[in-house]
Amino acid sequence: MIEVDALRKTFRGGRGLNGFSLRVESNELVGLVGPNGAGKTTLIKILATLVPASSGTAHVDGHDVAGDPRAIRAVVGYLPDVPGVYQDMRVGEFLEFFVDAFRLKEPRRTEAIQRALELSELRNRTEDFVEQLSLGWKQRLLVAKTLLHQPKVLLLDEPATGLDPLARIALREQLKSLHAEGVAILISSHILSDLEDICTRVVFIAEGKNVSEPPASTVSSGAPQAVIQCEIEFRGPKETAEQAAAGFPGAHILKSEEGFLLVELPGGAREASSFLQVLLHAGIVVLHFDARGPGLEERYRRAFGEISR
Amino acid sequence: MSRLITNPTIIKELRQRLRERRSWLLPTLYLLVLSGTVSFAYYFGTEVEQQAIQREVQGADIGLAIFLTVVFTQIIVLLLMAPVFSAGSITIEKEQRTLAGLLTSLLTAPQIWWGKFVAALLFLLLLLFSALPMLAVSFAFGGVEPMQLVRATASTVLVLAAICAVGLWCSAVFRRSVHATACCYGIVLTLSVVTAVIFGILMAHWESNAGPGGIEGPPAYVQAPLFLNPLYPLLSMDDPTFGQFSYPWSSWMLFAALGCLSAALAMRRLQRSGEQL
Repeated sequence: MIEVDALRKTFRGGRGLNGFSLRVESNELVGLVGPNGAGKTTLIKILATLVPASSGTAHVDGHDVAGDPRAIRAVVGYLPDVPGVYQDMRVGEFLEFFVDAFRLKEPRRTEAIQRALELSELRNRTEDFVEQLSLGWKQRLLVAKTLLHQPKVLLLDEPATGLDPLARIALREQLKSLHAEGVAILISSHILSDLEDICTRVVFIAEGKNVSEPPASTVSSGAPQAVIQCEIEFRGPKETAEQAAAGFPGAHILKSEEGFLLVELPGGAREASSFLQVLLHAGIVVLHFDARGPGLEERYRRAFGEISR
Repeated sequence: MSRLITNPTIIKELRQRLRERRSWLLPTLYLLVLSGTVSFAYYFGTEVEQQAIQREVQGADIGLAIFLTVVFTQIIVLLLMAPVFSAGSITIEKEQRTLAGLLTSLLTAPQIWWGKFVAALLFLLLLLFSALPMLAVSFAFGGVEPMQLVRATASTVLVLAAICAVGLWCSAVFRRSVHATACCYGIVLTLSVVTAVIFGILMAHWESNAGPGGIEGPPAYVQAPLFLNPLYPLLSMDDPTFGQFSYPWSSWMLFAALGCLSAALAMRRLQRSGEQL
């Protein structure tokens, strides 16, 4: 749905994109993560046809961003990082203006407005002026406006900035349901917990380039190796469990309590399975076993820790 | 063609403009100023003129005096208002961060420009046409032909349209309304004052070389700087009062060209304004 290849954008100030590549399929909700000035907003602006790229190619739904911007706008919904609203318009007028700006004809026009009001839960506030809405409601209105023309691709630049927790939860739920409907979503955000909750994949960017994630041990020893963390709840003596865990090659006990172990293993699901078998063979009664890769915060730290410093 | 009229930007702009306090305040002040000038023209035409020429003042003299006073006053006042309505209309979208929404919709840059232009011009036309009853007073006294009224109004509309186009260009170039408005006022001032000063210098030079102008008035090359003066098209109409200025078409064509050039540059700039956001 989105194909970006070796995209470059040079600004006079120096920051921009420096050969960034990306591919987002139609069933994906991809998070774009990176430090400030990494090029996230520039990438999203290029895809939204606001800024031309200096070189490289970008396609959305098969249309060339540079060559056919009108076709792109018909399939893309774009929400900027600091979106503005017409404060002196009524909610209904605001939606009517954008539905006309997207050239929707009846009966699609009325349907789109009704759907937007439903989605934003602003049905009873169509006569209110936009300036009377709180920040969270304005964001709901903006998301609804972005979806008026039923885009196939959503480009969201820091959509949760300034929202209270409830509004953030509502936004997350909205994005999940749009993803379930088949809308491809590229979302840039610094709120990693939100991204972790909703994204099918996360892409790292820094200094305008793709950043590949170094595995955990690279940070400390330099040997590239994937890791997995295992949470084990068990019944039985703590010492026996610790002994069994320590006997597994490469295992590193991060936390040990009565009836609970947190262990980091080199490798992936296969190693986790072997580790569970080792515990069972040692006679430990495992009540709960959860093996997962490192969290997004940890991955972010691994990817950018060195750069930030 | 229908999209030129049903452009959603026009409706949005007019709706927002008519909700502002100035939407009723400005026409009120404008009509008060014009009423004052009509009263002044009437008083001047009857009392002062009578004392000066020591004879009965003709109705036609009063009619012409009222007509010319209103026509010149309204173009001066509207020239002062045109930058306010045009030069802020794109910059305000940048300041409120709403331009990205427009540029990523299916509205093209020319459609956005056209919507802004029509909305700015329509408000000025509202003021212009609201003063027509005052101009019609001059018909009651005589001395003014309907065609003069039509030509004066058409000429004013053309000049205002060109200034609105210049204002929109300033608005497309600058990020802040205050800068765009200041630039537009600078251009209006240049067109109004600098052209008159250059004309004065050329006129003095021509008079010192060729003697006083006589009935025909100064030649085209001396008048040329005035072709871009917003008042020139009114001065150069078939009016015996200003018979020496006789090239209205040159002036109209230059203002039309200025408007078209500004429009083209503004649309081009608007298309590329994504980087300013």
